[in-house]
Amino acid sequence: MLKIWSMKQQQQAASAASGKKKVTAAQLRVQKDLGELSLPSTMKTHFPDPDDILNFTLTIEPDEGMYKGGAFNFDFTINQNFPHEPPKVLCKQKIYHPNIDLEGKVCLNILREDWKPVLNLNAVIVGLQYLFLEPNASDPLNKEAAEDLKTNRDNFKRNVRSSMSGGYVKNISYDKVTK
Amino acid sequence: MKVKIKEWHAVATWRWDMPEDEVCGICRVDFDGCCPNCKYPGDDCPLIVGKCHHSFHLHCILSWINQESAKGLCPMCRQKFEVAA
Repeated sequence: MLKIWSMKQQQQAASAASGKKKVTAAQLRVQKDLGELSLPSTMKTHFPDPDDILNFTLTIEPDEGMYKGGAFNFDFTINQNFPHEPPKVLCKQKIYHPNIDLEGKVCLNILREDWKPVLNLNAVIVGLQYLFLEPNASDPLNKEAAEDLKTNRDNFKRNVRSSMSGGYVKNISYDKVTK
Repeated sequence: MKVKIKEWHAVATWRWDMPEDEVCGICRVDFDGCCPNCKYPGDDCPLIVGKCHHSFHLHCILSWINQESAKGLCPMCRQKFEVAA
């Protein structure tokens, strides 16, 4: 028993000496979430700094729906208060979508008011994917896009296509997101 | 044959009265482990059961309940989180 104690102390001294940074609660939780992630072929993660799992990008390439053929990039920024605070998610392109504004802010209930710490990154990612399959006009960030979706779905679809290829919709130019 | 016991060491193990393999929904660590901010499981890092029957590490649920956005609700079922008697 005493031997175990002294071994433990040696171990702690060794890890302190090597200057290893303590793994934070947020990192531990993110590690678990990433381990459980089962991404379909339409989504990919990318870690610009492999040692920093709290900052990464997600690319969604919908294979059905109105946004099919596009590649949409999202920045995930997770702070040390995760999972008590949701990850911050920002769309890196300027796109025409009722629930994403021109600065890339995303309107998804679980990213704000409905976040709870028992949710995981998978829930957020599934939620994002869903936004491209079923854009939602009732809770808009881009009000014009939402209005188009509500009043004339075919017209909205046309706007989505032209915005995705880098065109203008109502005098606003959008980023080209098609491959 | 007579045996004379000269010395003996008692050894005991313990675990929380929880189904095996269950994890805290907040930190996803086993209930038999401790919350990520503690070093060793035991009385210093206890579990707590709510009236809604959802359990967490005490430290995990406290840091949730203490923040305003939690509105005092259980993160599992969104009922008011009250400690079961």
